[in-house]
Order: sequence, then structure tokens, then C-alpha cells
Amino acid sequence: MSDMASHGRAGYLPGFLRRADPAVLTAFACIVVLLFLGSLYSRNFLSPEYLLQQLKVASFLGVIATGMMLVVLLGQIDLSVPWTITAGAMMACAAAAYGPVGTALAMPFGILCGVLIGLVNGIGVAYLRIPSMIITLATNAVVQGLMVVYTGGSSPQDTATPAMRYVATGSILPGVPNAVIVWALVGIAMVFLLTRTGFGRTIYGIGNRERAAYLSGINTRRVVLIAFAMCGGLAAFGGVLLAGYASKAAQSMGDAYLLPSIAAVVLGGTSILGGRGSYLGTVAGVILITLLQSILSVMQMPEAGRQIIYGIVIVAMLLLYGRTPASR
Amino acid sequence: MDDAVPLLRMEGISKRYGGVKALEKADLSVNAGSIHAILGENGAGKSTLIKILSGVVGPDEGRILLDGREVTFASPAAANQAGIVCVFQELSLVPELSVADNIVISDPPQRFGMIDHKAQRRIAEEALARAGAADIHPRALVKDLPLSRRQIVEIAKALARKPRILILDEATSALTAADVAKVFDVCKRLRSEGLALLYISHRMNEIRELADECTVFRNGHNVASYRAGTRSDDEVIEMMIGRQYSHVFPAKPDSGSASKSAPVLEARSLSWAGRLHDISLTLHPGEVVGLGGLDGQGQRELLLAFFGVLRGLGGQVLIDGKTVSIDSPAAARAAGIGMALIPEDRKTEGLMLPMTVRENLSFASLDRITKAGIVDRDQEQELIDDMVRLLAIKTAGLDIPVGALSGGNQQKVVIAKWLMRQPRIILLNDPTRGIDVGTKQEIYQLLRKLADTGAAILFYSTDYDELIGCCDRVLVLYDGAVRRELVGAEITEHALIASALNIEAEGQSAMQEVNA
Repeated sequence: MSDMASHGRAGYLPGFLRRADPAVLTAFACIVVLLFLGSLYSRNFLSPEYLLQQLKVASFLGVIATGMMLVVLLGQIDLSVPWTITAGAMMACAAAAYGPVGTALAMPFGILCGVLIGLVNGIGVAYLRIPSMIITLATNAVVQGLMVVYTGGSSPQDTATPAMRYVATGSILPGVPNAVIVWALVGIAMVFLLTRTGFGRTIYGIGNRERAAYLSGINTRRVVLIAFAMCGGLAAFGGVLLAGYASKAAQSMGDAYLLPSIAAVVLGGTSILGGRGSYLGTVAGVILITLLQSILSVMQMPEAGRQIIYGIVIVAMLLLYGRTPASR
Repeated sequence: MDDAVPLLRMEGISKRYGGVKALEKADLSVNAGSIHAILGENGAGKSTLIKILSGVVGPDEGRILLDGREVTFASPAAANQAGIVCVFQELSLVPELSVADNIVISDPPQRFGMIDHKAQRRIAEEALARAGAADIHPRALVKDLPLSRRQIVEIAKALARKPRILILDEATSALTAADVAKVFDVCKRLRSEGLALLYISHRMNEIRELADECTVFRNGHNVASYRAGTRSDDEVIEMMIGRQYSHVFPAKPDSGSASKSAPVLEARSLSWAGRLHDISLTLHPGEVVGLGGLDGQGQRELLLAFFGVLRGLGGQVLIDGKTVSIDSPAAARAAGIGMALIPEDRKTEGLMLPMTVRENLSFASLDRITKAGIVDRDQEQELIDDMVRLLAIKTAGLDIPVGALSGGNQQKVVIAKWLMRQPRIILLNDPTRGIDVGTKQEIYQLLRKLADTGAAILFYSTDYDELIGCCDRVLVLYDGAVRRELVGAEITEHALIASALNIEAEGQSAMQEVNA
């Protein structure tokens, strides 16, 4: 029956759309609608400057959501993202205080800290069998505590290195922000990982049916561990970029990214239960969330109203997607 | 007995699951104040009949008459209302709750909207006393009770619902001898109180002792009803078998030729968690060895034990005569061991249904078709083409979800994904369950072909025909131990059923206890 339906639909869709997930198409359609609504309010919404600026802002979320997507595809979740971001930013800035060597190693060091946090999550989920919702929440709290101890509770005095600032705010190609290029590179690597490597196949396999993957002789625990480490690393990388963007790290700078990173992944059609989703969808979800935030703030909605509308829109969109029959 | 209107009549009950007929025009008549035993081998339709009677599933056709009036049950609760209560084989108790909580769980007594603990305790005590277990404290937690006592609580829970018809489905399989005797006393007392009891058991001696009436099921139909004690065990077994077989099996090689070579797999006194007891066996290249016996006698656990899934395994596993420690499926499939397991449930253990046929086929071979982690698509395609050809997998394409394939083709994909690794030892867990006859025959041919090319095959099946038709040897398991080994011409349905039921059948040759 479902076979017939999908064949029928394919009949009137142009070729390149035939293979696309309906959820991804919906997400892109929502982007177009948002831009249209924005342009009714102000013509500036369709200007190249504005769009490029949005893309730049989106790229920070994009890098973070990339990692989140990996664990969501496994059917897990990473709630330690907020303070992994902050820790990545703070540790990178802290390294910058240690002379030229520290400056040179600032970015890798920040990312390494994120990988370590991710490894703790991964060991907890894969080997100790703690539900990811619990262990990552706990890790988040521990990292928050460690960062507060490190900074003494106030925002640290260290500043971002020039390299961090250049990666986040410069533009090596005229007109194209470096942050966007970074996101593009991360995205291409991710698409390659998910579609062309054995590791990518096992991620989908475990997300669909961990038992079947295990009985196929896959070392499922190692795959889960690596995915969480990558998620931590990418969140910290996002934090490093944000620190470069703002020139310094700040307390709870990552808090604003937890819901958007999960929402972007899920709005992009990745099943929150794991096993299904494409990176193109995550790209759409990230842009969608960024535009929504931007339009709400341009409309000079008071902060409280913005939060309410933002939350309602996300729930509404998720309901919309949730009603479409799952392919399983 | 036939003069009065029976308490329960089921007439012309049919039920299909997909293409599989579970019941066809089955009749059953049960009188009040009697114990009625239902007999039949695996898949004869007993459990489907019970499910229909207790409202778990609805029949496709046929009617159920209670006191001569037609009834339909939309749910187990409706059946309970009508006085039909089932004690299932799988325990349905919540371990963290107390005995009393469990007994009244479906309908707790209430006062002012809150649970009336006094009334609850009284109901529980009454039910426990009726079940002959007044020594169980109603406030004890179920998790603190041993398994056999839990089964008694299960019966008490059923009695608290005031049944007129009580169904006991393998209710004694977890019980110790002392508890079985208690359950029998309870059954006999309930009979004298006028209840009708439907008793399903594989233990012939229990049925001899307890039952008044017996009905034998075969192939989804009731083939005979008789008063208990009027037929011998052998006659009963004949009734359970007596059907025509249409399977086509490949010719077997001369028996014994394979077992002369050195064993590729050997087990020495394997035991595990009270489910496997001291199992020793050898498996030689080129032979197909069957695992027989009733469902759930440790066959699955044995296969999982070899495949490295079970933790805390006692005993030794030898590959090519050398002791190995296989601690995961990844280790079991590795070079040097080369083991494959076709799991029991293809939908949850064998396949990722939403993923494509291609992804599923190559999933167990990803380590072989990747170079530096990247999938070599040409090599993948080549291997997949080979497998699709070898197994004649019918699919509309390789990039459709494997869940869209028919059951038989799905099972072929599961087998193909392992054959792609060219395993030396192939373990199969009931691989033909729920698939069409044509595909079954293809699988039989394939197994023999694989054995002829030197693979060693260990094959669990709940279908006795398959064991007879496919296997060079059959090990019959009972209660987690190898009870009998049947070789070559000894593998007959009669011998299989007799040893599966663990009774000495007439004409049985010298017992070949493997683990003497």
C-alpha cells in the first residue's frame, strides 16, 4: 500500500525531488514561507547582505547540530551540549594565554576538551548502559561546575586568538564569511561519513535496530562511543567559533543552543527515535531555526513573547512532521 | 457427557496470520466440572485457540457459545467478564508490586476513589487460599518469591477474577514437583466446584493424571477427542503426527561420511544460567545437525551461546580442536572462526526493516567491503549481485526498504547477508518460520548445498518434518539438556516427539544419551 502511494507521488515530482524525504521538502518550504513573510514586513529580508549574515549566524548552530544529528541518528541524545560549547570556548581562550604555543594550539585544545566530554558521555551510554538523557545531563552539570571553579564564577578575562577571530568573522573568499565555509566543510565531511563509509552505515543500522546491528557482528558500543566523542568535539568547535565571533568566552554562552540544536535536527526530518534522516534536512532545519529567531527579533518582539512564539512554532512544526506516517 | 448443553462450545473457528493458517474449522466442546486437556505439537494451533478464547485475538470465522448463547470477546477484559480467565505461560506479574497488588491489579477494590487496602488484602488471601498457597503473604513482593511460587500467585490472580472457565497454558512448566502436586490438588478441587478447566501441557504424565477429556490438535484442526485413559501414549503421538507431508527435501549423503572428519565446532559441558545444562556436542564440516525438542527447551540459548551473545557461559567451546573464547558476534564472525547466525526474528534481529535491501545485504560484511573506512561500491555491488543470484531474491530493486519484501524474500536477505561472508559454521534459529512453502524448499536445498561445500550447519527448527528431511543428525533438547541423539534412519517423527516429550516410546532403540 505505502509502496503504491510513493510511486504515485513520484509520478508528478521532478526527478531530483523524487528521492528527497518529504520532511526535508517541508523544511525548505517553511524557509521560503518565512522569507516571504519577512519580506512583507521589510524588503531587507531578501537582500543578499541580510541572507549572508543569517547564513553566518546559522553556521555556528550548523556545526553544533551536525554533532547532535550523529547521536540522534543513533536514537540517543546529548544534553551536555550547552556546557560543552562553553567549555570549548573557555578552554580555547584559556590556552591562548600560554604564549605563542598556546595561541597556536588554542583551537585544537578547545575541541579536544569537547571530545573528552563526549567520551565520558559515550562510555556512560555504550559501556555502562546509562540512558543518554541522564548521563549527558549529569555531564553537563559537572562541566558547568568545573567551568565555574575555573573562572571563579565571573566571565574569564582571556580573549580569543586572532586565528579564532579570523575563522569566525573573516572572509577568505570575498563576500563569503569564513564561518559559512567552515560549516560547509564540516557538512561535506559529514555527508561523506554518513553516505559513503561503513561507519555511517552502522550509525543508521544501530539507530534502526541496535540488536540486529549487534547480531550482525558490529561493535555497536565502539560506534556509539565514537559518535558521542564526535558530538562533543563538534559542540566544542561551535563554542570555539562563537568565542572567536564574540572575541571572548562567556558564562552560559552555550545555553541558547540546546533546544535549537535538537530542534534543527528533528525539523530536518531526522527521526528522534534514530535510524532515519539526511544531512540536507539538518541544513534546512538550522537555516529555518536561525531565520525564525532573526525574524522574531527584527520584529522587535519583546524577549518573553519571542520565546513563547519560538517554542510554539517548534512544537507546531514537530507535530506537523510527527503526523506523517513513519517509513518503518 | 454429551446429553447436557456444554458450558463452552467453539464451532468452526478459523484464523489466518497473513498466508499462514493457524486454525481451520476447529471445534471444541468443554463441560462444566471437568478438566479438558489440549494436545498437539508445536504450531498445531493450540495457542491460537487459547488466544481466541481469551479475547486476545478475534477469529476470522466461527462462533463461540457460552451456555448455548453466542458470545464475542473484543478484549481479554471482555472474556474475563464472561468468566473465561487464562493463566499464561509467560508470567504476567509486576515484580516490584506486592502479591496482593498483583492479584487485584486489573480491578482493585476502591473506597472514595482510593484503593481499599483491607478489601484488597482479603481478596488476595481468599484467592491464595483457593490456590492452595495460604502460606504466601499478600504483602510480600513478587520479586522476592521463587519462580514456582510466582506461578501459584499467577493462578491465584486468575481465581480472584471468579472464572467459570480457567485456562492453564503450560502453567506447570516452571514448577517443582511439589508445587505441581499442589496445583493438581487445586485443579481437582476447582473441578469439584463446577469449573471447567482447559489444560495445555506437553507433559503426558500430567495429562494422564489430571485430564477427564482430551482433544488432539493437528495442523490447526481438532483431529480427535477422547476420554482420558482410553488411548495409549503411542496412539496419542500417532494422532499428533498423522498428516501428509508435501515438503521436498534434497537427498542426504550416506550417513556417517561427514562425521569422520575432524569436528569444526565442539562444545564441552556448556551451561548457562539454569537454562543450559551440561551440553556437549560436536559439529563436523559437511553435515547438517538439527536441534529438536519442544519450543523453549534451550535451543535458542545454545545457538546464542555459540555466537558469543550470552554472558557467564560455563564449559568450553572448541573451534578446530582449539579452545576459543567468543565474547561477541563480532568475535564469532571473525576470520579463524567464521561463524554465522541466522537469528530467530528477522524483523527485529535479522534486518533493519526501513533500510534498503542493499544496506541490509552488505551490513554484516562492511569490514570486508570498506577500504580505509570507505565503502567500495563496486565490490559491494558485485557481492550483492552474487547473493541475489544465488538465493534468487525477488525484489523490485536494491534501493527499496527491505521491509517492502515478502517474508520469504526477507528471510533470504538475512541468509544472504551472512553467506556473503562465506561462513564455515552456520547456526540457524528456526529459519523457515512464517514463510511460504516454496521458499522453505529453496532454503532446504541451499542448506544441503552449503554442507556439500564443506560448511557445518546447526539448525534449530520447530517443524519436525524439516528436521527429518534436512538433518544428518538431530539432538533433542529437553529442559536445557541434550536428551537424545538421533542419527540417520532413527530420525522419525515418532522418535522426535517421544524424546521431545521425554517419554520412552515403544520400539525405541537403545537410548543414546549424549551427556551420559
